Amino acid sequence: MIRTYVGLIIVLALAAVVISAVPGFSVPSELPYIGQNYAEQGVHDTGSINLVTAVVVAYRGLDTLGEVVVLFSASTAIVLILTLIPIGAHPTPPSSIVSFTAGVLPGAIVLFGIYIITHGHLSPGGGFPGGAVVASAFLLVMLGSNTIPGQSKMLASIESLAGLTFGLLGFWGMMTLGQFLNNLVLPAGSPGKVLSAGIIPLISLAIGAKVASELSGVFASYRKSGGAE
Amino acid sequence: MSLLAAASIGTGVMMLVAAVAALVVKKLISAIIIVGFVSLSASVLFLLMDAPDVAITEASIGAAISTVIFLWGRGKIGGEE
Repeated sequence: MIRTYVGLIIVLALAAVVISAVPGFSVPSELPYIGQNYAEQGVHDTGSINLVTAVVVAYRGLDTLGEVVVLFSASTAIVLILTLIPIGAHPTPPSSIVSFTAGVLPGAIVLFGIYIITHGHLSPGGGFPGGAVVASAFLLVMLGSNTIPGQSKMLASIESLAGLTFGLLGFWGMMTLGQFLNNLVLPAGSPGKVLSAGIIPLISLAIGAKVASELSGVFASYRKSGGAE
Repeated sequence: MSLLAAASIGTGVMMLVAAVAALVVKKLISAIIIVGFVSLSASVLFLLMDAPDVAITEASIGAAISTVIFLWGRGKIGGEE
């Protein structure tokens, strides 16, 4: 009970802080220097219409590589813990609604995830959200059955291959243009086409495959960790 | 006040009410679903603030995947508050 009140006080205090900050909040009429540069030169520099992807994958590609490494070590640690300590839950038989949905929807969800991944440079999305959407389809498949997932070498291979692809694409830029992860080792093409924007689509594919396989691996190891009913 | 601002403030108030509700409801499963709703409202708020990239990520990870993980955790610890 006391925990409820402490939580209530924390939530209300945070709300008070946010509300007190609202009157002073305004959108600046001019972007700061580097933001202005990205906004004006982004499409020309990278060929990507979606400037968020241009910044995340092209301008700050090294940071994204670091993020992928963080995600990799986190998922490896989770899988290791779940393998050593069986703290997963027993799968319970799904209700008929869940099992029917799990039979119908996953294909469409995977297709939507692949769309988000491959159109990251044209519309909102990219590797991380697309990969999460694909992984949620596998999660739905797992929810729709009460069996234990088997060993999968393919998941680990896809994950390693995707990480390797990201690194090698970086080194490709280093070999040919003298800059790690230079976007323009492939032509920028005409902005708006799916096959444009240099290596952004390839990196998005690599990130998407990596995120999807990592999250699916975590779900599967959680299921396995629970053991049979 | 523009429609956009009104919608943003409405979503924010809804989030606040839901966050408080998640703390005071008795059943754990209701609290988990309400937390998922808070995430979904945050995703709508991001969309209203012209950040669709963040909104997609929040909707898929915050609203869908973490809710399911919480539900699995509830299945493990078994039930009530």
